[in-house]
Amino acid sequence: MKAILLLSIIGCINCVDSLSDTFTEELFLKPLYSKQIYAHLHFSTKWDTDYVIESFRHTHLFPRALGEIIERHNVQELHLSLTAGLWRYETWGYPIVDAAPGAELWAWFKPDTQDVDKNWKELASSLSGLICASLNFIDVPNSISPEYSFRPSGVVNQPFVNSSFLRYSALPREIVCIENLTPWKKLLPCESRKGLASLLNSLRIYNTRYHSVAIHLRPVCRDAECELTSLEVQQSVALVYDYGILGTRNWSIRQLFGQGLFGSCPLAKSSTVYVDITSNSSSPFLLIPDPDEYVTSKRGAYTSTFAKYDINGDIDHISATYIGKQNVLINSPPPLHANQYLTGYGQERGGIVIKLYNNHWESLDVVVLQSLPWYVPIYLHTLKIQSNGKQLKPLVLKYIPGKLRKRPYYLELVLRLPPQSTTSISVDFEHVFLKWTEYPPDASHGFYIGSTIISSMLNVARNFTALPQDGLTIADSFNASRSGYLVQVRTEVMVITLPTPDFSMPYNVICLACTVVALAFGPLHNITTKRLILKPQSDEKLLVRIKNKILRVIKGDTNSKSSDDSTAATSEK
Amino acid sequence: MMLSLCIIFVCTILSSGSAEYIKKVEDFVKSGHTNNWAVLVDTSRFWFNYRHVANVLSIYRSVKRLGIPDSQIILMIADDMACNPRNPSPATVYNNANQFINVYGDDVEVDYRGYEVTVENFVRLLTGRLPPGTPRSKQLLTDEGSNILVYLTGHGGDGFLKFQDSEEITSQEMADALEQMWQKQRYHELFFMIDTCQAASMYERFYSPNILAVASSLVGEDSLSHHVDPAIGVYIIDRYTYYALEFLERVNASSDKTIGEFLTVCPKRLCISTVGVRRDLFKRDPYKVPVTDFFGSVRPVELLQDIENETQEITYEKQVTLSTKSKYRFVPQLENFSVLSK
Repeated sequence: MKAILLLSIIGCINCVDSLSDTFTEELFLKPLYSKQIYAHLHFSTKWDTDYVIESFRHTHLFPRALGEIIERHNVQELHLSLTAGLWRYETWGYPIVDAAPGAELWAWFKPDTQDVDKNWKELASSLSGLICASLNFIDVPNSISPEYSFRPSGVVNQPFVNSSFLRYSALPREIVCIENLTPWKKLLPCESRKGLASLLNSLRIYNTRYHSVAIHLRPVCRDAECELTSLEVQQSVALVYDYGILGTRNWSIRQLFGQGLFGSCPLAKSSTVYVDITSNSSSPFLLIPDPDEYVTSKRGAYTSTFAKYDINGDIDHISATYIGKQNVLINSPPPLHANQYLTGYGQERGGIVIKLYNNHWESLDVVVLQSLPWYVPIYLHTLKIQSNGKQLKPLVLKYIPGKLRKRPYYLELVLRLPPQSTTSISVDFEHVFLKWTEYPPDASHGFYIGSTIISSMLNVARNFTALPQDGLTIADSFNASRSGYLVQVRTEVMVITLPTPDFSMPYNVICLACTVVALAFGPLHNITTKRLILKPQSDEKLLVRIKNKILRVIKGDTNSKSSDDSTAATSEK
Repeated sequence: MMLSLCIIFVCTILSSGSAEYIKKVEDFVKSGHTNNWAVLVDTSRFWFNYRHVANVLSIYRSVKRLGIPDSQIILMIADDMACNPRNPSPATVYNNANQFINVYGDDVEVDYRGYEVTVENFVRLLTGRLPPGTPRSKQLLTDEGSNILVYLTGHGGDGFLKFQDSEEITSQEMADALEQMWQKQRYHELFFMIDTCQAASMYERFYSPNILAVASSLVGEDSLSHHVDPAIGVYIIDRYTYYALEFLERVNASSDKTIGEFLTVCPKRLCISTVGVRRDLFKRDPYKVPVTDFFGSVRPVELLQDIENETQEITYEKQVTLSTKSKYRFVPQLENFSVLSK
């Protein structure tokens, strides 16, 4: 009783105390080149608290379940994404949040962390319970600490960035389904009862070309002075709908999500829908109802226009109808995109080729990160980098060879891609045999190799929609001209077939061996235990023999049956 | 004489009253359990085993509907059927070709999935010997007051159940795991359901008390599937679970249907196999046990006695957060490599 009273009082103090947090929900819709529409739901919570000393006993809008986990494992920054499908950079441009197919997790631990590996493993395990994914398969043997590709996206107070407090791992085979979205929704202040999150109707959002669920947590500056920190969580769902699946090019909220808008989350500071109408000049569409406001954003010399809707009671529906003749559009690919594929044949050797396309008129500095599981040993001497037919030397090459069952192979390259070039990086690997207990139940399905991550700072913001480093909401990305725009392109995942043993072999061997032993045992036993006696063959005629036999049967004498057979062996004991 | 009669009369009234009162209390707590848990396991991988996932989700749907919270349901599914690329209607699993019930629902929480569904994890879950750092949602946090529903489905044989087409749990291992649970006081009563071929062989070795077991088929019999959905192209549910779900759909949290009735949901003419029941380890009469003792949930109610109201003035000072002031900064998102030349 006392405890309850006490709790309620503390709760009240904290609800006054923790009004220092804000929650924003946004929906961003953008018709992509040709036949898709991109819908991005962005939920951001900012809490003015010191992440170093915060105990997460009481939270208001901030998801407490997540807070407890990061406090327990001494996490400074956490990035988690679960994705199905591949983002097509070449035609779709850059997404707001990059994510590799499958599960991807990386975290920065606080600089006072004693045992990073132990915390990392337990963090992944805790998150697997929180988000219903098999993240508990993340362990030291499949994690790396990339030096260049990942830097803290939040604020730090150390003079140098020490990548030994960073861990990155990807599970390219992880499936993404409702069971991941359900707990994800429960982290939101209004869950899925109210606001934009109520649009997430599972029957619609899984019928898409690409869907990605992400959680990004980091400390940021509280004010301009940046002497105090705030904690920020960005939860997002990215969806790419195909007009072919939708059945029509004229989209509406109801068509995309199966239902209309049911007002905003009462706890949200603002609930907004943005529709990118930049493409309206080439293939015009009519928005119903009229937007509340038009926002023009100039970013890195590129101008975009957005229609803005404030979600409150009176808007329940937004639809777009294409008007006029359908124009054939020309795709302008973004400055940098990439592919990867496998080469080679047979079950002994293979190779990986990563192709980087620089469509920019300037040279580009890129960081290429590939991590391979320990059972795919690569040979560094086979590394070839060619750009437009010419050899290209990496500016930096960082390679840590893997160790069987202990450490993955890690390769990080810094390249300067010449302008308007296609660069191919190739490296050979070998197939290894695993122990037969290490094969998964569906071993012949193959083993997955994760995406290569290509990071670069672009100086143009063409097809670029991501938030700036100091941004929290999509609105922050408007007019956010910066000196560089970070893109992190993820390539396809690949499946290799390792030599798979015949798992029924031991059974077959036992059967065969037993048969052979049994067949050999009989004659050998006879030879060793019986004496062979030669009996002279009688010269009786056939008729006489038959007569004798009949007589014997009549007499009832069957004892001397074998006397006829001349060479029959009789046993004597 | 008159007085003594009166006293006797009063005594009988009192005693009958108290007996009634005791009976009421006994009725209220007659099952003796204080909480409900469910362990629902599908052990089959691959698309053609769609029906096993539909089986386990049918039971999941029912126990959830009848009040067991997700935190007390351990759901193990060995493969992803709902979001499988072969599923023509993504994020759904139906129990019927006419798509009556989407058993996947809109808020499913799968605790063990894919490669995590192994014999080792299953036995560790039951016996509570999990590695440190295992999240709560992957633990069976039961006690001596817990009624547990264990439901298994997959491919089985005489004395074993296959896990993921690569390993199997034997009936002896299963019986030993349950005995260990009993010794560790991890359950009060356990209802064991299994829908596989030769399912009865799995409960034959049980030797721990308070277990009621039901199996979809006897030793030497196959359990058969119910029907094909031509749109999906595979069998979509097994007979026994199909009829069990049909029964459970008519049960609600306050209904008085009994486990005894539940044990007869699938007569041989419907199931084609013979449903096996083992009740020698179970002390109560199944016809007096409500279905909700295993499929529903007890709300945690604690009766307190000798409550004293104590008032205490508590004064709080507003917590002053001693935020450490320090110069924070954003680091560049990528190092500048332009200083490096070829």
